[in-house]
This record gives sequence, structure tokens and C-alpha cells, in this order.
Amino acid sequence: MLVLTRKLGEGITIDRYIRVVVLDVKGGQVRLGIDAPHTIQVHRDEIYAKILDENKKAAATASIPVAALERLGTATS
Amino acid sequence: MKIVTSRFGEIEFKDEAMLTFTSGILGFPNATRYVVLDHDRDVPFKWLQSVDEGGLAFVIMDPGFFKPDYRVTVEPDELAELGVAEGDEIIVFVILTIPSADPRRITANLQGPVVVNRRTRLAKQLILREELTTRYPVFPDETSHQPADEPLPLAACRD
Repeated sequence: MLVLTRKLGEGITIDRYIRVVVLDVKGGQVRLGIDAPHTIQVHRDEIYAKILDENKKAAATASIPVAALERLGTATS
Repeated sequence: MKIVTSRFGEIEFKDEAMLTFTSGILGFPNATRYVVLDHDRDVPFKWLQSVDEGGLAFVIMDPGFFKPDYRVTVEPDELAELGVAEGDEIIVFVILTIPSADPRRITANLQGPVVVNRRTRLAKQLILREELTTRYPVFPDETSHQPADEPLPLAACRD
């Protein structure tokens, strides 16, 4: 991993078009500003981890319970 | 095309029915081709079966059945990725998690829905910008703990 030290207000540029700036540092928290083209998806790590984790759980589904289906049928009709 | 699956044995489907994920489902980057399997009963659940990995399948559902106000914003670059042209129909479904210990506690992943361009058969799991739950209860008032009953038999594949 590339490690860089930045001060408040300073930033880094990634691949010309992506800019990350340190906006605030307070009590162990760092506020980042990100300027990136619309095609670049920026999310907190936790969002990816959460979806990945749920996808793994979903893939473990072995079968569909019929009773639950019928219940849902009555609930939505 | 014929494939062998762990849940349904050998299945056959038309090549045109296949969906191609432009970047795979998160956590399963190498499985990009899927086929949707339907049941012979009129139920809102379907299986998204991987063509590349016989053991990989997800239960999917139209979110309109349990959350009519659920809306998905597809960004312009994502529309381009799906090859969307004027008049194309985009289908949205959510992936369900059905815990084996208590199958009635089904949850739906609202943060990572799957969108499909019906014409191009290109699909993608979105990661929505707004923060939503990945564990939305499909039966919110479900409190009973009843054992799982017989799995639903699979009928012919349908587009």
C-alpha cells in the first residue's frame, strides 16, 4: 500500500481526474472530500463489505420454504 | 444450453434466456452468466442460477411484492453499461437471504439490487448511493418459529 502524509487542506490526485482532500481532522475522525467523475463509484468500505457479506449469505440458501410463500400470497393479495 | 446444478440437477435453457453480468455479483466476480429459473406455481420467488458455477444460485424477487415504494436510481454510466437505448425496459429485483434455521425470516437486500436490461440481457448488481438495509424483513410481523417444509419443486426454465 502506498502511504502518504497530508495536512489539513491538502490532497492527493489519483489518475488525473480523482482528487481526495483532507477537509477536517478531529477526535480521531478524518473528513475527506472527493472529486471524481460520475463514472467512478465512491462508497464507504462498509457498504461494499455489507453487500458482499449479504451476497454470501444469500448464496447459501438451499431451498424456498413453501409455507412462507403462501403466507406472503395472502399478505399481498 | 445444458448445465448441471447442485440444487436442480441438469437444466436446459435457450441461450437467449441467459443474463450476462457486466461485473459479476459482489463476492462472485468470476460468475458472470446467469439464468432465471421459475417455479410452476404462481409465486413471486425465482432462482438466479449461475451458468458458470453449478453450485451458485440466489433467490430473487420483485421488490414490488413487499415494498411498493422501493425505488432504484440507475446512474447514467450504469445505464450505458447495460446498453440501454430508448424504449428499453429495465427490470429490478432484489436478492433474498433465507436462513436455514428459520426460513420464514426471509430478508431482502435493498442496498444491492440487481437491474436487467430485458433487450440486451445485460445485468448488474447496483450499489445504491443512499444507505439502505441489506436485511429488510420480507415478513415484518413474522414471529413464529416453524420448521422448514418441503422445498418447492422446480418447473421448466422460463425467460
